[in-house]
Amino acid sequence: MKDKSPLVGIIALAIVMVLLIGAVAVHPAKQRLILATTTSTQDSGLLDHILPNFESKYDCIVDVIAVGSGQAMQIGKTGDADVLLVHSPASEKQFVKDGYGTSRTLVCYNQYVVIGPATDPAGVSQAKNATDAFNRIYQNGTEGKAIFVSRGDLSGTDTKEKSIWVKAKLNVTTFSNNWYLSTGQGMGAVLDITEQQIDKGYTLSDQATYYTRKATDIIPHLEIVYQGDPFLYNQYSVIPVNPVKWPNINATLALDFVDWITSPEIQSMIADYTVGGRELFVPNAGPGSIAENHLMISHHRAAVAIRID
Amino acid sequence: MQGGHRLVDGVTYDVVQVTLLSLYVSGSATILGSLIGIPLGAAIGLKEFGGKGLLKTITYTMYGFPPVISGLFIYYVFSRAGPLGDFGILFTPTAMILAQTLLVIPLVAGITITSVTEVDRNIKNTVRSLGANDRQATFTVIKEAWVGVITAVMIGFGRAIAEVGAAYMVGGNIDGKTRVLTTAIMLETRMGHFEYAVGLGVVLLIVACGVFLFMRWLQERELL
Repeated sequence: MKDKSPLVGIIALAIVMVLLIGAVAVHPAKQRLILATTTSTQDSGLLDHILPNFESKYDCIVDVIAVGSGQAMQIGKTGDADVLLVHSPASEKQFVKDGYGTSRTLVCYNQYVVIGPATDPAGVSQAKNATDAFNRIYQNGTEGKAIFVSRGDLSGTDTKEKSIWVKAKLNVTTFSNNWYLSTGQGMGAVLDITEQQIDKGYTLSDQATYYTRKATDIIPHLEIVYQGDPFLYNQYSVIPVNPVKWPNINATLALDFVDWITSPEIQSMIADYTVGGRELFVPNAGPGSIAENHLMISHHRAAVAIRID
Repeated sequence: MQGGHRLVDGVTYDVVQVTLLSLYVSGSATILGSLIGIPLGAAIGLKEFGGKGLLKTITYTMYGFPPVISGLFIYYVFSRAGPLGDFGILFTPTAMILAQTLLVIPLVAGITITSVTEVDRNIKNTVRSLGANDRQATFTVIKEAWVGVITAVMIGFGRAIAEVGAAYMVGGNIDGKTRVLTTAIMLETRMGHFEYAVGLGVVLLIVACGVFLFMRWLQERELL
């Protein structure tokens, strides 16, 4: 027998583990708020920009779970989050109507943009509106001259994309995977996949993720080929989860969060947030539908004004 | 967001804390999984009983158990809407440990089965004839199969520290709470920070290397 026993080693390992547990477990006994949100608010850096303000003001820690809007709402439905920051208006209204959330308050918006190769083989830049843009991609796609990369993950962006195909009276389920790629991935990954479809790839993206990724030089061949249709407007809203359904959630802090993110101070912080010199989000705090309608109208006016110019 | 080490410029979370959490979660899962898997594997390998072949096949099949399925199971069980939701452990390191433990158990058990079977049966018979009872005989066989058992634990740890699906699903990749090296790599890739992702990958390999060197050291010694 060798003289050294591995028991020494096992004891050493046990001590290391205990120290590790200590290192991990030493957290101040602060309140925690679980925020389920879409990947675009985290990946664009917006949350890192504004959340420290909330954490110091309310002496708490915000646990951010960044997933697609569909999954974020699912997490809210099962009571596993306290508050949601999402961008899928139709499903949000249904979520509140079904009693899973107590209110829906607008926070900010930007636009969806159609992304494609600078060479634009489908001529999308000459489109009159979003449905025309998608029709051109469809035509060229079936002829093998364009490829559309879809999120395919029931996220806010995915829902918007599907609604444009519906508006264009095209049935997504009949699309061939020769040109329509349903990837099930986040926006950043979808832009990367689009970049790899040399001189053919198109996709629909939120402005924030596109500009953030463009600033890192990973997608040099992609450009915005179409934007400006009011239908492409992308609204982010905040929804506190209903404490009547889930008594264990941190309802007070969730309401504080709603008040905070819609306050003038944070609204201007959102407006000031830029990547590569570009503003990514336009603040428009206000109650649900009415303000939204107003915004849609002002968007319409702006779009009309551009065309007149 | 809570101060601490900012090893890499531009990474907004604490890399040291993320690394320690990776070790804590995967280390705990490996220890838990081994505490269950080694006795289980030894029992299956050494005892004769009906359905033994089927049980072995099931164990080996579970080598291919996908992390996301393990995550999905833990998510379903511990979600507030699920049967054990009142524990409130979803999106905590505990849930991650449980999900990874499910992945470690079959690997450790399966490799333990193989290594105890390989140890000569005569050893067991010999120690029995020397007056050892069943438990003592089993312990002697595990002692003789030590190298194989440690290999089982190493492979179990390798699976736990490298997986991302379960950690992301039941942990939520929360900064300062459940973000581990693999989910941080995913986040950096998603954000387009490939250089940070690669850097974190190097950290992961260094950590794994340290653990494996320790296990190798253990392996070269005899139990007791």
